[in-house]
Formats: sequence, structure tokens, C-alpha cells
Amino acid sequence: MNGKSFSFVFAAVLAILCALVVLSLPPSADAIPAFSRRYGTSCTTCHSDFPKLNDFGKAFKDAGFKFPKDDESFLKTPPVLLGAPAQAELWPHTVYPGSIPGLLPIGLRYNTYFQQVSANRNNFNLALPAGTVGNFIPKSDFEPGYFSIFTAGNFGTGISWWVDDDISVAGANVNGALGDGYLKFNDLSRFLKLPKDSLNLRAGQFELDLPFSQARTWNLSGWDIFSQANIGVQNGLAPAQNVNNGLALEDAANGVEFSGGHAYQGYHYSVAVFDQNTTGVFSNPPNVAPQNAIAYSSDSNFKDLYGRFVYRFNLEKDPASRNEVQAAGTTGPRDHTYLALGTFYFYGRTVQPFSGVLSDGVTPTVLTAREPFYRIGGDVNFNYRTFNVFGVYVAAHDHNLLPVTASGAAGITGFTPSAAATFSGGFAEADYLALPWAMTIMRWDQVKSTADRVNFIEYDPSAPPPSSFFSPYSATRNRFTPGEQFLIHANIKASIEYQIRPQQIVYNPATGLPLTGPFRTNALIVGLEFVY
Amino acid sequence: MKKIALVTIFMTALATVAFAGTIHGKVSGVSGESVVYVEGVAGKTFPAPTQHITVDQKGLMFVPHITAVAQGTTVEFLNSDSVAHNVFWPSISGNKKLGHNLGTWPQGQRKSFKFDDPGIVPLLCNVHPEMSGYVIVSPTPYFAVTDKSGDFKIDNVPDGAYTVTAWHEGAKNKSNPVKVAGDTTADFTLSK
Repeated sequence: MNGKSFSFVFAAVLAILCALVVLSLPPSADAIPAFSRRYGTSCTTCHSDFPKLNDFGKAFKDAGFKFPKDDESFLKTPPVLLGAPAQAELWPHTVYPGSIPGLLPIGLRYNTYFQQVSANRNNFNLALPAGTVGNFIPKSDFEPGYFSIFTAGNFGTGISWWVDDDISVAGANVNGALGDGYLKFNDLSRFLKLPKDSLNLRAGQFELDLPFSQARTWNLSGWDIFSQANIGVQNGLAPAQNVNNGLALEDAANGVEFSGGHAYQGYHYSVAVFDQNTTGVFSNPPNVAPQNAIAYSSDSNFKDLYGRFVYRFNLEKDPASRNEVQAAGTTGPRDHTYLALGTFYFYGRTVQPFSGVLSDGVTPTVLTAREPFYRIGGDVNFNYRTFNVFGVYVAAHDHNLLPVTASGAAGITGFTPSAAATFSGGFAEADYLALPWAMTIMRWDQVKSTADRVNFIEYDPSAPPPSSFFSPYSATRNRFTPGEQFLIHANIKASIEYQIRPQQIVYNPATGLPLTGPFRTNALIVGLEFVY
Repeated sequence: MKKIALVTIFMTALATVAFAGTIHGKVSGVSGESVVYVEGVAGKTFPAPTQHITVDQKGLMFVPHITAVAQGTTVEFLNSDSVAHNVFWPSISGNKKLGHNLGTWPQGQRKSFKFDDPGIVPLLCNVHPEMSGYVIVSPTPYFAVTDKSGDFKIDNVPDGAYTVTAWHEGAKNKSNPVKVAGDTTADFTLSK
């Protein structure tokens, strides 16, 4: 392995290490106390186990963070008018009138965690030379989580917004980042004489329209398949890979999205166009307006595409009940019994620039590998009363261009197609709301990645590897995660999750042979979270 | 004969006026509306009122928040909201056996319930847990809802000795013996 390829390997491994550190934190999860204040209602109006939405919450979100009908009659604080409604008749000779909420719609959230890890947690140190002081994983650990601010609402004329930001993560203020930040134009279909709610547009930064939101998951840990990147390094093992696609489906997208339909019944679709952000770097200094304000993170003019379609069949026999936002139960409204079937497709293209030489073999140049990729998947979601079972399957495919060096050349001179870098997998989860304040969860996550196993095996004695403690034993990672969640109040939740982790193994850096047999480092996570 | 009848009617009316008193007073120690009612009189029953009373669900609230009715009154629960609601009460005066769930009904429709058991009925909605209302079922037709300053007046109470109870949301009930003779004052001081 030459120096350049080692640097590449090292950078890739570092990137994955960083990604794992970040992923080890529970994902962001936002419920909206701002709406509770605005409407004078409990979190449970929209959430069954926050932030998991019930059918009414889905309808509220679909309507642009409004009650689906007669919204104004539910407002406990009147909005501030930004122009009398009658001004609309004067448009375009006046600014079109809108409104802002009468109460500043801000919510805050904080969570804290405790972790207990099984006895073989420090096995990764086996690869260190004798006498070396290695990293240490404590048996138990208390850890601060997120402190987040979020604001959302509507401006009265079918325009809604959402902004959330993690002010601090794991106790460090510098780790926070913008989650979603977008403006959404709801029901544009009314201008085009299309069926109601059949066309919306949102612009800004947003989580893709995944079958189940990773940013707002109710689980302590996110679903593995949505966190899976596709990074395959060249390390001399077959199959050789040269993909550096850091994109995970959970990543926020910057762009625009057209959508329509409803999440609580019938069809729903979305089509998004956004920056490819797989290996983007900020330009420095910014060279395009707005001056010095915003740099550009995309290193390509290529725009990624994402599309989703789902159809939900509400299964109540009574047509009146079936078509309402919530079903009419004998002792009160409840979520529908339903079956939803969906599919999604992501298409993008990564860009990897390399220092190389022209065909003369000596003149330096930059060679660019453009590797198209796609993610395709399907999902199913079935709900019966308080029992919800659902799952997702994803298949990923990245074009794989291997660098080639012409005979006698001083560097790489081009690329040659090779076997695609792929991964697949998904998850299945069952949630049972045994009591209105207690939910039992059972999850199974699986990721089968052609890159996962080879990425952390290094057997070149001249290039010592980084720690390989998290190296999966095989190309398939299974994780079982039973859990229980308790609402102490509608805005305070205690969660417990036991992660039966994927099998791991430690390799001898000199031989590439296993130092240990496969083992698991299981973890018990306890979380406390409150929003206000 | 006509004279006798007229005299009888006159005397009866006079007796009624003379022996029907008024209880008035003030409920203090709490703020907002309270309910004051005369407890049941041994050996005496009252006919069930024929007039129905309506409690609305509007803007995610029970309207009115407090409703006082006489035992045997039928209350109609209306849903004026465009969202689904439910009405149930887990108990009446703490007696869980008297709890009841009326189910679900859409906007503009109503469901009725005849309250044959006296007591405090806490109204709840199982979709919107913040919603709260009360039906106070008085064992006698002698009851009143105070104004916001706590003042109340119960008319047409026959003279006699009674137990009068004052109820306020979140406060401890207070029952006082009251001897009604004409215009009678009965004040209550409640505490939480």
C-alpha cells in the first residue's frame, strides 16, 4: 500500500470513527410545546408517546401546523395581524396580509443519559502493543444529551415554518447544529384548481421524507439503516472499493421539495431536489453572493433527487369513521386501524477529486471520479389500536471507480469501473402502547454492507491501523433492541433500551487474523427527556 | 262555594310565601365559581326536572366549565368542535362504580345522560386530557352557582333545618347546618 492510499484509508477510517461517535448519541427528537401553549392543549393531542405522532398529529402537520379545520376557533392566543385581511383585495398594490403567532412559538428540550456496557467492552485494546495506554470505556457512564430549541407554526395564509437547532450536544456547545429549517407553502393546489392538499412546496434544510423520521424518532437510538454511509476503502482485500459516500439517508438536505396527500389516510408523495452533500467542502473565502455570508458546501453542480410514494389504507368498516382524521371508538376517538405501503428512491452522484497525472505520465492534474449512486427501499406500517408494527428495507448501490496507474506514470492516470459497492438492510419494529403512558418496544436492525468488514482490516505491518474494536465480525450486522418508555408527564419521558449489539472482532494488525473470537458489547441505555 | 275556594287558594299562596325562604351568602377562601346546594332531606323526594341542560365542547373546553343540576336531570353533551371528542367521568364523588364513558360523536351531534346519582361528576375527554368540566348533581332542587366573587342566592327553600354544602374545584367541600327561616344567610370559607 502506498502512502497516498494509506492516507485515503486513514481519512476514511477517521471519518467513520467520527461518524460512530456522533451516531452513538441518541438522535434528536422534537415534540412541540409551542403548540401546546398556542392551543392550550396537551402534548398527547398530537403525540402518543412523544415525539411519535398519532393520527391527529399527522393531520396537524399535514395542514401546516394547524388544526385541519376551523383552526382559529382553537387558538387561545389570537395571532398578530400583519395587515388586515381586507388588504388582500388591494394586492398587488399592497403587501399581502399575513399573521404571526400571538405567543412566541418556542419550545426547548433537554435530555440526559446513563449507559451501562457489558464486561467485554475493552476488548478492542487487545490490538495495542504491550505497555501502551489505550482508550478506556467505563462500565457505567452518565452523559448529558441535547439541549435544543425549536420553533414552528404558520403565518396564517397557508405558509408554515419549522426551525430546530441543537444548542449543545453531549455537554459541548460547539457540537450543536441546525436540524431542519424550512418554509413550507401548503396547499398550493388551491391556486391550480387541483385536489385539496395535493401540492405543497417547502424550501430550506429538511430531513428527507423518510418512511419514519430519524430526526424525530422516539427511540433512544436511531435506526441503523438510515445512518449507514457507503465508504469502501482500498486496502488490498477483495473486493477493492473506492467509494467515499458519506451520505446517510438521515442527513438533512438543502433544496426544495414538492409533496402532496396526507399521512393519516390515502396517498402521500414527495419529490425533492437538493444539493449533493456527500463530500462537499466549504469554499473559502466565499466567492459568490451573498458576500461573506454563506459559503457553498456542495462541490458539484449535480443535484440529488429523492422521491417517495406511500398509500395508507384505513381499515375501519364504517366509511364515516374511516375518512375522519381519527377513528371513532366505543370509548373515544383513537388512531385508525391501517395498513400503509410505501416506496422511496434516492439518486445522487458523489465526487472524488484525486491528484494524478495526464496521459504523458508526468504532468500533474486533478482527476475526478464521479460515482452515481442510488438508494431504493420499501416500507410497511400496520396499526391495530395501540399496537403498531412497521419496517423498512433499503438497498444501496454505488458505482465504484478504481484508480488506475498507467505503466511508468508518476501517479494515477484514470479510473476503471469495478464491482459496485452495495449495502442493504432495514429494520422491523413493534410498538405496543400498553397504557397511555407506557410503551413497549422491540426492534431488529440489520445492515449488510460489502464495505463494513474490509474497512477495518489492515494487515500491512508498515501501516499500523487505527483501533479496530468496532469492526463487525461479518458483513452483516444485526442488532436487537428491546425497550420500554414511560411518560412521567405528557412532556417528561423516561426511556430504557437494551442494545444487543452486532458481533465484533479484533484483528492482529500484523497478520490480519483475528485476535479474539466474535463477541458482543451490549449496552443498557437509560434516558430522561423533557420538553417545555 | 266559590268564596271558600278563593280563600283556600289565597291562604295556600300566603302560606307558601310565608314559609319559602332564601339562602344567600358568600363563598370565600377561593376564587371563581363555586356551587352551593342543599343536601337531601330524609323522607323527601323531588320529581326529576324535565328540562334538559346542555354542556358543550368548544375550543377544546367544556362550556360551561361548571354545571349544576338537580338529581334526575338529563344533560346533553354537544360537540361543537371540528375535532373528535369524548366525554367520560371516572367516578361520581369518588365512587368509581358510577364512572361512565359516553364514547365518540361528531361535530354538531349530542349525547344525553340522565344523572340519577347525586354527587360531583368530573367531566374528562380521553383525547384531550387538559379538558376538564364538572357537573354538580344536587340531591335537591335547591342549589346555585356562585358568581365569580363567590356570592350566591338559593330561592324557594322551604323553612326548616338543612345541611348546606359548598363545593369548589380543587377545594375541600364544606357542609354547614343551616336553619332556613325566611331570608337566611349562610357563608362558607373553603380551603384547598
